[in-house]
Amino acid sequence: MISFLVLMSIVVCFSAILALALNFQWGLGGMVNFGLAGFYTLGAYACALLILKGGANTFFATLGAMAVVAIACALTALVTLRVTEEDYFAIVTLGVGEVLRLVSLNEDWLTKGALGLTGIPRPLSDVIPSDVYVYFLLGLSIALLLATLWVLNVLARSPFGRIVRALREDDVVAATLGKNVLWARVRIFAIGGAFIGLAGSLHAFYYQYIDPTQFSNIVIAYAFMAVIAGGRGAHAGAILGAAVVMVLLEGSRFLKDVIPWLDSDRLAAIRIIIIGVGLILLLVFRPQGFLREHRLQVDLATATMRRS
Amino acid sequence: MLQTAFNGVVSGVIMTLPALAVTLLFGVLKFPNFAIGAMMTCAAYLVFALNAQLGWPLSVSTALIALAFGGVCILIDQVTFKPLRGRGAITLMVASLGLGFILENVARFGYGNTARSFAIELARPFRFLDIRMNREQMITLAISAAAMLAMWFLLTRTPVGRAMRAVADNPQLALVRGIEAERIIRWTWFITGMLLAVGGVLIGMDRALEPPMGSNYLVSVFGAAILGGLGSPLGAGIGALLIGVASELSTLVMPPNYRIGIPLAAIALVLVFRPQGLFGQPYIRK
Repeated sequence: MISFLVLMSIVVCFSAILALALNFQWGLGGMVNFGLAGFYTLGAYACALLILKGGANTFFATLGAMAVVAIACALTALVTLRVTEEDYFAIVTLGVGEVLRLVSLNEDWLTKGALGLTGIPRPLSDVIPSDVYVYFLLGLSIALLLATLWVLNVLARSPFGRIVRALREDDVVAATLGKNVLWARVRIFAIGGAFIGLAGSLHAFYYQYIDPTQFSNIVIAYAFMAVIAGGRGAHAGAILGAAVVMVLLEGSRFLKDVIPWLDSDRLAAIRIIIIGVGLILLLVFRPQGFLREHRLQVDLATATMRRS
Repeated sequence: MLQTAFNGVVSGVIMTLPALAVTLLFGVLKFPNFAIGAMMTCAAYLVFALNAQLGWPLSVSTALIALAFGGVCILIDQVTFKPLRGRGAITLMVASLGLGFILENVARFGYGNTARSFAIELARPFRFLDIRMNREQMITLAISAAAMLAMWFLLTRTPVGRAMRAVADNPQLALVRGIEAERIIRWTWFITGMLLAVGGVLIGMDRALEPPMGSNYLVSVFGAAILGGLGSPLGAGIGALLIGVASELSTLVMPPNYRIGIPLAAIALVLVFRPQGLFGQPYIRK
């Protein structure tokens, strides 16, 4: 039971990093990413291939995966050159994600297709004894999650963070104030992409085996649900949302023991239906989520009282 | 080459109905609906239930389900999208994504992942000008052409169609003229539902029935609608043809698995060089 909890906590950690990345791109920057599953695939495969074929160690492979996904995201963001409407961009990300998924499925020489990549080494697995290794991996995941949170928090409160939010609210106003909208969008999407790459790398380390079926569109569903449940723009909310969603998802595996006539296909279908229904219910009844975005606030009443 | 072009025309024609649906929905509701793929899947499985399980003829089953599915779409809209109207395109898009997941998995729950096909007797393909065509392809061409004509008639010659165009063009002005937007939205969903049901059956006839059958077409259909200009029905038809032929011809020079790259490239090129599409109105930000 303890080991199950540890393993699940690791899953929650890299899911939370993914949710934070989406939160940065979409929650803060207003750039919806429906290709999330594809970019996540790219991150996991880039990391695994850099180790298995490129001979890199796990540290540089992770950095490489972050760079690869960041570049892919930056290129995707370039299509907003002339059309800044979010709906067109959503369709483009959907298409890019689909192409990335097809590459992982079809380029047998590189990705072994549907068979997937096996034997992905874990960080420092030769130094740390195997009986305590999961605890190390958990610690590493938590550290990386906190680091992600810290970096994104600093970014969100920096001058760049203000541009990011300004673009979300109204890009024309931001452009009028002399901000370079295209360049800012490319950076927002690339930064988010880097963290998607990080989450993908952790995914590869955790499972040690990746194949295209692990990256189905359910990834998009739960990441969006995590971000919406947590409150768009709220970092802590995204983590909390990811934790709740993953616990529900993993917990629903036990449904099989309760309702024996469910086969695995049907069980998977039910889980996605539940997520979809939850997503819509959240949007309808609690669109602001459960936590709110950090904003600089001045309490006007006390401020004026103090002055007088 | 000629054969490939003909196959391309047919696979493009298959996309005209969903592309029309996308463009109508976008015109009236102002957001791209990502659930249309899964809606086609659901409708196709409903037709499958009548056709293959109850043994009704495919034509009768399709007609019945098309009418019923129009109603289903109105219902779905009332439950999911109506409470969200006016909340901005992103919210509606995410909701449509969630709806797509639900519908696709309802189909998966009912029929599993196994590929199925309609109960239609096989017919020998025949040759014309050295091009091999089969009966399903001819049916597809005929039905799509009929649907395009019907849509043209509806949009230009009927009060409902004119009202739809008015709401798409300027909802406030339409309201001032006494056109009730909600009524037009219900009509739009009804028509969209019929288009998607027939589109789903055509896809199922062309390939096979499986849960992702509709969503596999999503990027291509959006590509067709954007290439033609979102909101332009004529553009949707021509965009679908262009995407279909280009995708099919692309298999001569690149691996067929990446056909989806063609609509994606088309979207990217259109967005960068001619954002309003081939037949769309230039978008003026108000």
